[in-house]
Amino acid sequence: MTVDDRRPLTETIFYVLLALGRPLHGYGIMQQVNGLTEGRVALGAGTLYGALTNLTEKGWIRPLSTAADERKKEYVITDAGRQAVAVELERLEELLRNGRRIVGEEWR
Amino acid sequence: MTAKVVHKLFWDFEKEERWLNEMAAKGWNLVRYTLGAYRFESGEPGTWVYRIELLPGGRRRAASREYLTLLRDTGVETIATYMRWVYLRRPAARGAFELFTDLESRIAHYRRVLRLFAGLLAALVAAEAGLIVNNGGGVAFVVPLVIVLAGIVVLGVQTVRLQRRVRSLTAQRQVFE
Repeated sequence: MTVDDRRPLTETIFYVLLALGRPLHGYGIMQQVNGLTEGRVALGAGTLYGALTNLTEKGWIRPLSTAADERKKEYVITDAGRQAVAVELERLEELLRNGRRIVGEEWR
Repeated sequence: MTAKVVHKLFWDFEKEERWLNEMAAKGWNLVRYTLGAYRFESGEPGTWVYRIELLPGGRRRAASREYLTLLRDTGVETIATYMRWVYLRRPAARGAFELFTDLESRIAHYRRVLRLFAGLLAALVAAEAGLIVNNGGGVAFVVPLVIVLAGIVVLGVQTVRLQRRVRSLTAQRQVFE
């Protein structure tokens, strides 16, 4: 993983990666993310499609070749994608740890 | 049901989109578009929300069919395609209809439009230069010269406007995602 790949992920990218632990097509990803966030994150089709294109080019997800209909491709996360999520989780945990400590203890 | 055709030219796709939504709010729903001609049909006011998007070009263009399928899955109808522009609508009853829901993708879409305009602008400047070099004089020379120049001015203004838009969104990204 390059230094560039260790930069913070956007919310869109993070949730798309999380959703793709199992194969899903575009609409399935939207529903999954909507459910995970209890309706807070409603991905626009253009936003999702851009994310799928970028993530495929990065090799963090891949289209499943078994999809019968080329227009309705399913995607799934790759090992590189899982690693990116793991790195991001570490970063988020640090944010939470520091945030909770400072707001919860020092600011009281 | 009645129908009407309105002839209009827009350079600013967001202004065009606003106009289509104002028409829809009044019960005039766009059903067809071909360069400068908008065909509307009357219906229940406020039934549809309209959006206009410039699809990706280049090597990403081939994938557009997959994208249009995704749109269909989310209840979106493709009303018209004009070059790489698509005219879309979704029933208002399905809630807010936004194609781009984060800064990153909104910036990317503006950049796409910006690249298209910059390309057209370069072509027009080249045409204008060609006209000047082959100066024949007379009306046959002046008329195209003025028309192309007008195109350069309009596109120039739009290009600057889009650049400002991209810059302001990029500045927001310093704080927000």
